[in-house]
Amino acid sequence: MSDRRDEFLSEEDLDLENLSTQELEACWRLWLGQAQATNDQDRASYSHGVFDRDPAEPE
Amino acid sequence: MDNPYIRLSLDFNDTRLRAILASGQAVVLYRLAIMSKDGDWILREDQETLAHVIATLGRRAARYRYGAPLDLRWLAHGWSSHLEFHEAGLRLRCDFVTRPPRVSPATLAALWRSPAQKEVPVVTLPILVDLKKTNREKDYAVIGELARRMEEPHLQALHSRSARDLLQLFAEHPAVVAEAARERPLLSRIREGREAIERLLDEERRALMRANENRLDRYLAAARRWRDHWPRLSKELADLPLAAAHEMMAAKAAELLPYEP
Repeated sequence: MSDRRDEFLSEEDLDLENLSTQELEACWRLWLGQAQATNDQDRASYSHGVFDRDPAEPE
Repeated sequence: MDNPYIRLSLDFNDTRLRAILASGQAVVLYRLAIMSKDGDWILREDQETLAHVIATLGRRAARYRYGAPLDLRWLAHGWSSHLEFHEAGLRLRCDFVTRPPRVSPATLAALWRSPAQKEVPVVTLPILVDLKKTNREKDYAVIGELARRMEEPHLQALHSRSARDLLQLFAEHPAVVAEAARERPLLSRIREGREAIERLLDEERRALMRANENRLDRYLAAARRWRDHWPRLSKELADLPLAAAHEMMAAKAAELLPYEP
């Protein structure tokens, strides 16, 4: 019988558990800084809640 | 951790528990994935909390995005509020609810009595799973890993997204899986094997996604007049301090946004 298991997330994601708090913080800050590059693309969109798009922003 | 959303959480909870970090940043604190640049909180449903949050965000020169006002008349019916500010070159978005979707009143009350504690109060794993039952495929991958972090076999049975994991669980704890089947129907067919459970998991995921879409459609339809007016109102709010913008927004929303969707 195979010992393979279902995979959901990447190895990089799962490795977060092994980081120290400082390493996790540095990783998150780096990611957040890089993610600012998409601010224009997601200017009108929502990650949470019951609204889907800001109607004041152009399509 | 020098995370602006954690600093905000600390400020929101100054002297009293008012805000519990949820969704994307909770996933970070559970060290599962870094996948959200926004912060969202479940707020305590009382006036003092909302005034404190508005004052905290006002000091950061936050502005309202399109959404419901931070006002109990709307939040108590499941609406969400959305604000945004900039700090050290970062765009920081803050999303709020007091009635998170798919979380029962009893479960929510228990959360306020005893939130999970990471660096700040954060939602428990079972609630995080329920929050992640959205219409986005990627959230179900997160649920799959969250279920593996749960210690109790009963909770694993209720939330696992892996047919292999469920079959293993059934082999080790058949009575627990049988008990959980009362709440999760696909477990009653566990003896049909891996392919059947995989198919049932897919069906379950699609049903959850459709249910969330239907919920959101209700709110979007109810917000039609508010949406039409927002481009004009947002310009009027743009230069106001947050407290004044909040007053104006709530007054206008009372005309255009129904309390109940």
